[in-house]
Amino acid sequence: MGKSRFDVKAALISAIVLFLLVFNVFPMCYLVFRSFCVENGFTLEAFRRIYTYPLNWNALRNTLITAGLSMVFGVMIAFPLAWLVGRTDMYGRRFFRTLFVMTYMVPPYVGAMAWLRLLNPRVGTLNVFIAGLFGLPENPFNIYSIGGLVWVLTTFYYPYAFITISRAMEKMDPSLEEASKISGASPMKTLMTITFPVMLPSVVAAGLLVFVSAASCYGIPSIIGAPGKIDTVTTRIIDYVYVGSKEGLTDATALAVSLMVTANIVLYVSTFVCGKRQYITVSGKSTRPNIIELGKWRLPITILVAIFAVVVVVIPFATVAMTSFTKNLGKPLSGSNFTMRYWNILLTRKGILDTAKNSLISASAAATVGTFISCVMAWLLTRTKAKARHIPDFLITLGSGTPSVVIALALIMTMSGRFGINIYNTLTIMVVAYTVKYLMMGMRTIVSAMSQIHPSLEEASLISGAKWQQSFRDVTLPLIAPSVVAGWFLIFMPSFYELTMSTLLYSTDTKTIGYELFTYQTYHSQQTASAIATGILVMVVSVNWLLNKLTKGEFSI
Amino acid sequence: MSSITLTNITKNYGSVQVIRDFSEKFNDHEFITLLGPSGCGKTTILRMIAGFERPTAGEIMIDDVVVSSAGNFVPPNLRNIGMVFQSYAVWPHMNVFDNVAYPLKMKHVPRPEITERVMNILEAVHLSPYVQRMPAELSGGQQQRVALGRALVSNPKVLLLDEPLSNLDAKLRESMRFEIKEVQGRFGITVVYVTHDQTEAMAMSDRVIVLDRGEVQQSDTPMNIYRRPENQFVADFVGKINFIGGVSSGGQVEFPGGQKMTYTGGKTGAVVVGVRPENITMRQDGGVLRGKILQQYYLGDVNDCRVDIGGEILRVIAPGNTYGKFSIGGEVWLDFDEYLVFDENH
Repeated sequence: MGKSRFDVKAALISAIVLFLLVFNVFPMCYLVFRSFCVENGFTLEAFRRIYTYPLNWNALRNTLITAGLSMVFGVMIAFPLAWLVGRTDMYGRRFFRTLFVMTYMVPPYVGAMAWLRLLNPRVGTLNVFIAGLFGLPENPFNIYSIGGLVWVLTTFYYPYAFITISRAMEKMDPSLEEASKISGASPMKTLMTITFPVMLPSVVAAGLLVFVSAASCYGIPSIIGAPGKIDTVTTRIIDYVYVGSKEGLTDATALAVSLMVTANIVLYVSTFVCGKRQYITVSGKSTRPNIIELGKWRLPITILVAIFAVVVVVIPFATVAMTSFTKNLGKPLSGSNFTMRYWNILLTRKGILDTAKNSLISASAAATVGTFISCVMAWLLTRTKAKARHIPDFLITLGSGTPSVVIALALIMTMSGRFGINIYNTLTIMVVAYTVKYLMMGMRTIVSAMSQIHPSLEEASLISGAKWQQSFRDVTLPLIAPSVVAGWFLIFMPSFYELTMSTLLYSTDTKTIGYELFTYQTYHSQQTASAIATGILVMVVSVNWLLNKLTKGEFSI
Repeated sequence: MSSITLTNITKNYGSVQVIRDFSEKFNDHEFITLLGPSGCGKTTILRMIAGFERPTAGEIMIDDVVVSSAGNFVPPNLRNIGMVFQSYAVWPHMNVFDNVAYPLKMKHVPRPEITERVMNILEAVHLSPYVQRMPAELSGGQQQRVALGRALVSNPKVLLLDEPLSNLDAKLRESMRFEIKEVQGRFGITVVYVTHDQTEAMAMSDRVIVLDRGEVQQSDTPMNIYRRPENQFVADFVGKINFIGGVSSGGQVEFPGGQKMTYTGGKTGAVVVGVRPENITMRQDGGVLRGKILQQYYLGDVNDCRVDIGGEILRVIAPGNTYGKFSIGGEVWLDFDEYLVFDENH
C-alpha cells in the first residue's frame, strides 16, 4: 500500500517534469545555446552584431526606461490604493477592489487602443477636450512618446502590484499596527514605521513583477510605439523574426536571450531578497482587520480614488466601447454617427469567428491541462513530502517569469521538426505556449486553497476507509472546487486574448482572436478591433462576476 | 498607577450586541482578570479600554480623564497604555532593542535616556543578552518578554494583557504567570488581564470578573468566585461542580431518587444543589446520602469516583488513600462538607 502510493507520486512528478522539460526547459536552453552557437561553434557574433545597431541599443534603453518608470509609478499608485482599500474606512472599498482586480484580467493592448484615441496628438478626444477647457494653443499630450508608453504601461500593470501588495496586507497581523498605536504612534507614523517596512519585501516583489511584465509586453509598445517610432526589445525581436532569414532568427535569439537574462536576474534577485526577509506575520487569532478611520479625509480621499478609477478604468473602456459604434472616427459619437456595422462584422465575418473558435479551443485546452497539473502540484506541495516536489514548482515559476516572446521563439526553434516533434503551425503549439506561460496563475490559486484545508479532514476520510483517490474526490475536491474553477479561468482568460506568442506562432489556419484584433487595429479598422475588444471586456466582466458568485465574494487572485 | 472606570458600556456589531450595559471600576494597583468562554466579550472590553474599538454607548475614564464617550474619543496612541497581544505583535523588522525603544521614541524621549530605560526594562524581563537579536531568532517565551518589556517601558498608567500566555507551552505558561505578577508588583501598575483559563485567573488576580454573553456574572476575589459563586454559570465555569436538581421545603431538599438532605437556607421550591467533588466525603456508614460506587480511578494524590445516588451520578474526589476501602458496586455514604443552593434557573 505504502509502496504503491509512492509510485503514484513518483509517476506524477515524472510526468509533469517530463512535460516541463520537453516544452519549457529544453526550448529555453536551446535558445540560449543557439544565441551563442552558429555553425562553427561558440561565438558572440550574434550579440556583437545586434549591439552594433544603434537601433537595438535604443530599443534596450527604451525598454529599461519604460519598464523602470512603470515600476516606480505602478508601486507609487498600488501601495496607497492597497492600503486604502485594505486598511481604511474609505467608502466603496469592496467595489474599488473588484474594479482594480478586474483590470488585471483585461488585455493590456485594449489600454493602448483606448489611449491612442484619447491622447492622439492631433485628434485625441481627451487632448482636444483639455485644450478646449484651458484654452491651450495646442494639444497638451502626445501618446506617441516615451511618456505615453509609460502612462499606458503603468495604468495597465499597476494592478499586478496592487494585487501582490493587497494580498500581503491581508496576511499581515493587525496587532502589529495596534501595538504601534498603543505605543503612542499616530496612524501616519504607524504607516511609515511599521506597515511599510513590514510590507517592504512584498512591495519590492510587486515592483519587480511590474518591471518584468512591462519589459516583456509587446501589445502596448507595438500599438503605441510603432507610429511614434519607439522600438522596444520585444518589438525588435518580432521584427527580426518577421525578416525570416536565418540571420534574422539568430539576431532575434540573441535579443531574446538578453531579455530573458534581464527578466530572470530581476526575478531571482526579488526572490532572493524577499525570500530572506519573508516575515511570518500570520496571527494566532484572526482578529477583525484593524480599520483606520480617515475622519475628515474620508470623503476627499474617496473622491480622489474615484477620479483615478474613472481616468484609468472607466474612460479607456468606455472609449473602446464607443469606438466600436462610431461610423466616422473623425467625429464624436452621436445619433448620425452611430452604427452597428462593426458589431455585425464581429458576429458574422468568418475570419473573425474562425479565430475566435481557434482561441476558444486552444485556451480551453491550455486551461484544462494547466488545471490538471495545478491540482496535482497542489496535492504534491501541500500534502506530500516527496523530495522532488519543488523541482516542477520551480520550473513552472521559471516558465511564467519568462517573457512571452522568448517562450514563443524558443518553441518555434525546437518544435518544428528538428528534434522529432513537429507541432509548428498547429493549435497544439499554442496550447503548449499558453500552458507554459500561464500555468503558475492557476497553480498558485489552487495551492493556496488547498493549504487552507486542514489535512485532518482528509485523514478523517482515510481512517473511515477511503483510499487516497477516494478521499481526494470526496473531501478535497468539493472543498477546493471553487478555486479550481477560478484557476481554470485564470489560465483561460489570458490565453484566450493572448497576442504576443500568437503573433509568432500563428499560421493561416491557426490565427487567434488576439492576433486578429491586432491586425484590424493596425491595418484595417479600429472600429472592428474595438468591437472585438469590447466583446473581450464583456467576457472579462462576466467571468469576474461568475468567479465572485462561485467563491461567495471572496475571489482574489 | 491609575484607575479605570467603565460606565454603562454597550457594544454592538451591526445587530449583534456583544456587551450589554457593563459598569465596573478597576482600582489603582489592582490586578483585574476578565474571565469567560470565547465570545463572552472580554477581549472587546479590553480593546475598548485600549481604544481599538469604540463603545456603542457608555463612557470610559482613565483616572479623571474621559477617554471615550458619546462626544469624546481619545485615540489609542494618546492614552498612554501598555498592551501585550495574544500574538505578541513583536515587529519582525526591528531587533529587540528597537522594539522596546519604540514607545519612548514616539514620546520623543532623548536618546541617552531611551538607552538607559530600555536596558533597565530588558534587565527586568531577563532579555539583556538578546538586545541585538531579531524576533525571528527568539523563542516564543522570549518574544513574549519583548512584548511585555515594550508594554512597560514608557511607564504606562495601565497594562492590558490579551490572553498573553495562550501560545506558550504549559511549563513556560506557569513561570510567565509568576513573572507577570512580579512585574506588576515591582511597577505598581493597574493590570487588566483577559483569559479563558480559570487557573491563570485564580493564580494572578486581585479580582476576577466572570463574563458570559456580554454580561457580568460575578465580580469578586478569586476565593469568593470559587467558594461563593453567584449563579450556576460561575460555579460551573470556575472549577468542577456537581449539580443536583431537587425541591426545597420545610428545612429539607428532596432529590429525585427520594433521598433528603437538611437545608436551612432561605430558598424554597425547585432548586439546584451544587457541590464541588472535593467537598464530598465518602464514609462506609452514617452520612447524609446513600449511594453506590460506579467507578473509581486511582490518580495517586486523589481517588476520582462516580457515585450513583439514585437517579443522579455525582463525581467525588476523595483523598488517594480511600482507594481500596470501597469497591465498585458497593454501598457508600456521602457527606457534603460545603455546598451551594441555587434557584433552578439562576
